Amino acid sequence: MSLDDLKLRVQALISPRRVERELDEELTFHLERDTQRHIDNGLSAAEARARARVRFGSVALAADQCRDARGTGFVDGLARDILYAFRTFRRAPLAALTIVATVALGLGLVAVVFMVYNVLLLRVDAVQSPGELFAVAIGQRIGPDNEPTVVFARRDYEALRRETSVFTDTFAMQGYAGPVEGRLARSALVTGNFFQMLGVQAALGRALLPEDERSAAQPVIVLSGMGWRKLFRADRTVIGRSVMINAAPHEIVGVMPDDFRGLGITPPDYWAPLAQFRDDPARRVDEEISSVEIIGRLKPAMSREAATAALALWASRRSEFNTLPGRQTQVWLIPRQGTLSADDIATQLAFVPLFFAFGLILMIGCANVANLLLARGVSRQREIGIRLSLGASRRRIMRQLLTESLLLALAAAVGALVVSQLFLERAISAAMTTIPPEFVQFVSMLNLAAPAADWRVLTFLVAGAVVSTVFFGLAPALQATRLDLVRTMRGEVTRDARPRRARQTLIAVQVGASALLLICAAIFLRGAFAAATSDPGVRTSDTLRVSIETETRRAAILQDLRTHPLVAIVSASSRTTRGVVETSVPPARMPVDQLAVSSEYFTVFGLDFVSGRGFTPAERTAEAGVVVVSQSLARQLWPSGSGVGQVVRLDAPQSASAAASSLPARTLTVIGVVRDVGSASGTSSRSVYLPTGPESPGTWLFLRVRGDLAQARQALLERLTGLDPVFGVMTLTNGMQTALLQIAFGLAVVLAGLALVLTMSGLFSVLSYVVEQQAKEIGVRMALGAAKKDVVRLVLSQSLRPIGLGLVAGGGIAAALAIVLMATPIASEIPDIIRVFDPVAYATSLLIIVTSCAIAVSVPALRAARIDPIATLRRD
Amino acid sequence: MARHTVPDLLPGTLDLLILRTLQTGSLHGWAISDRIQQISQDVLQVNQGSLYPALHRLEHHGWIEAEWAVSELGRRAKYYRLTVTGRRQLAIETSEWERMSMAIGRVLKLA
Repeated sequence: MSLDDLKLRVQALISPRRVERELDEELTFHLERDTQRHIDNGLSAAEARARARVRFGSVALAADQCRDARGTGFVDGLARDILYAFRTFRRAPLAALTIVATVALGLGLVAVVFMVYNVLLLRVDAVQSPGELFAVAIGQRIGPDNEPTVVFARRDYEALRRETSVFTDTFAMQGYAGPVEGRLARSALVTGNFFQMLGVQAALGRALLPEDERSAAQPVIVLSGMGWRKLFRADRTVIGRSVMINAAPHEIVGVMPDDFRGLGITPPDYWAPLAQFRDDPARRVDEEISSVEIIGRLKPAMSREAATAALALWASRRSEFNTLPGRQTQVWLIPRQGTLSADDIATQLAFVPLFFAFGLILMIGCANVANLLLARGVSRQREIGIRLSLGASRRRIMRQLLTESLLLALAAAVGALVVSQLFLERAISAAMTTIPPEFVQFVSMLNLAAPAADWRVLTFLVAGAVVSTVFFGLAPALQATRLDLVRTMRGEVTRDARPRRARQTLIAVQVGASALLLICAAIFLRGAFAAATSDPGVRTSDTLRVSIETETRRAAILQDLRTHPLVAIVSASSRTTRGVVETSVPPARMPVDQLAVSSEYFTVFGLDFVSGRGFTPAERTAEAGVVVVSQSLARQLWPSGSGVGQVVRLDAPQSASAAASSLPARTLTVIGVVRDVGSASGTSSRSVYLPTGPESPGTWLFLRVRGDLAQARQALLERLTGLDPVFGVMTLTNGMQTALLQIAFGLAVVLAGLALVLTMSGLFSVLSYVVEQQAKEIGVRMALGAAKKDVVRLVLSQSLRPIGLGLVAGGGIAAALAIVLMATPIASEIPDIIRVFDPVAYATSLLIIVTSCAIAVSVPALRAARIDPIATLRRD
Repeated sequence: MARHTVPDLLPGTLDLLILRTLQTGSLHGWAISDRIQQISQDVLQVNQGSLYPALHRLEHHGWIEAEWAVSELGRRAKYYRLTVTGRRQLAIETSEWERMSMAIGRVLKLA
């Protein structure tokens, strides 16, 4: 492109009129000069002008070709197309509105998924050079699994900071639930260099400083934008105010900006210095139990691999990390930028079905719009025919039709933004009301909020609008411009221009997509029912789980529980960890789940002994040298005998729980074999149980209660929050699983409902339109003696095939997806209560679709039957 | 219509004719078509509807450039002039044409 040419294009953009005027002047001059020549040859002025015009041909066409030849035509044509499009919209505002609304709905739903995706995986936190930030994870290789097992204490952080040099700086962070003025709040305890290292400034007041970590300093906190609004209603005078946290006054020194989330997906409510809480006597944070996350800023010259290697060398020399002799120590550096790690393929994959399901709605909507445009294309045949015969190229008209579609789609993108925000807000509030009340306080601490749209979402919407345009606009544009000019000009709507096949394909696609979504909804619904009624395999109907956060109050709480009239039995258990069991006769190694339990645990859960005995109250530490194993483990290790009296070695990683701590490899005698826990509870059946007692810090308490479970929970909660402000009591019924399935069902039902309504309205309008178009033909048939029955059959036959095809395709795709799903590793993650091949779900959904289609189809069919042949024939 | 009694230009030859006509100096659109007609002794008549698109296309390619000047009628007209790349293009197209016409001539004579 030459410089002049560029100038011309820019000119065409800035002042299209000047370029137009010059073109016009050039062509006019030619005509005048030609006229002059004819006059010179002796013709009269009028005749000369006529002769010149005939010789030149269509000036408008030549001008158009000139514009095309130099590319300024594009800009110019676009402006004209847009104007023309707006005229069309004004002429048929209802059609335009329908299209915008339909596409906005579909695009909005897809945007919802993208917004969630954006928040989880793309939206990096507003900190300085987030790409350099990595969390350190260390583990020893145990069994076939290879995952970080080491839990860092603060002294590990100090050691890493002192002894390694791969990071420019490192901070430690610990999540903590500490109520502010009695209101539950989530905080992050951080080392004093946290804010400086991330390079963020406070929006109000100041951020935390290294000085704040000194024990002598007055306890301080910094609020997040979220916490500021939630806890203090965005009051600007909070700076300097003193609030009670853990019965101690803390001064609020600052509020952080809204876009800073402290490297999390959602922000905590406040940040406080880590050391300050360590020294807090009310919460004697046990160095063994409390775990910190270590996050470093990689030195600019350091590669991730080199840093990993250097840290691995350091870690292999540190005895605290190497509790299992002879095992290789591994180090991971995990990107920490306020999103889920991009290395996490599973999360990325989880979005595929979501995008697919929500995308189906958009596709059905687009199919509806395409149908509408096809119908309008027929009614616009005359207009398009005239433009074609005036010399407009087919490409030109297609461009114009596509411009119209694109404008509508862009308007829909704006609507989609509104739709997605509304949907997310509604979905979050609906989810909050569905989950069991005992979980609500925890979920509300997550600080979920409908995310604001950022540039990525906007880009996605514009791209979505363009793709939708291709989906719904291309086929109708192709169809509308494929015209027999002569017949169109004569006013005949040509038969072959009736885009029958395109329409039928669209119907089939819609029915198929609705079937797919309905089947999913039905499977989730059945799953939710099954979860609500399923047998968890252990006794949960009168069991409560108590978690104690303030360990100093454990004894008092235990005392209180033991004397409480509603509590029958108190038992305890640690959290489940991984271990490896080794036997010498016969020699075998087997990965197992290990947990430490108190003697009453088996009674509370109704786990009967197959042989041997349980722990005695005296056996309450691992030093007792006894172990209870699950039935299937015993069967696998000792196929011939009962297992009682056998000796095993148990290898365990550094334990997350103090209860089962410290002996790296223990020799234990099996004293009992207990029946397997049912699979529904999620515990694998290869388990070993070590002894512990309810007094051991870090254990959960499991209570057998008397009377109604929910009432007992409430009573205990009210009684004991005085002793431990973050005291938690949970039921063990699978309320959460049921709720999650209900949410999934709700989502699928909303999607499937939308799909069905869109499909029905599409079917209805298409068939109504077809009947309208064929009125003459139907009239002739009736005049020739066709019965009403035949007419109905004629109309129905046009929709039966696509509907049938759609049903088969939808059911087939659902089954195929299920097969693919079961073949992937995800299959093991799907709870057993979800049966992807549930025949009842399939049958019900298909029945619903057939019924709705029958309703949508019968109205136009009956209308066709009522056609008066005389009136129709007289109409033309 | 009289236009159809004279043979249409071979496709692609219009560009060549325009470039060649402009070799001797700058001309406006009408003059170009008039010159082609005169020199070819009325055998070649430029379809005037396609003349201007062709001119604009050549300008777009950068082979010719335009400027406004006062014409023989006493009013502004757009005059086209060959550029350096246009001259090169003319040479290429001329030799192409000669090769082609020679080939056709041979076939007609010898086949």
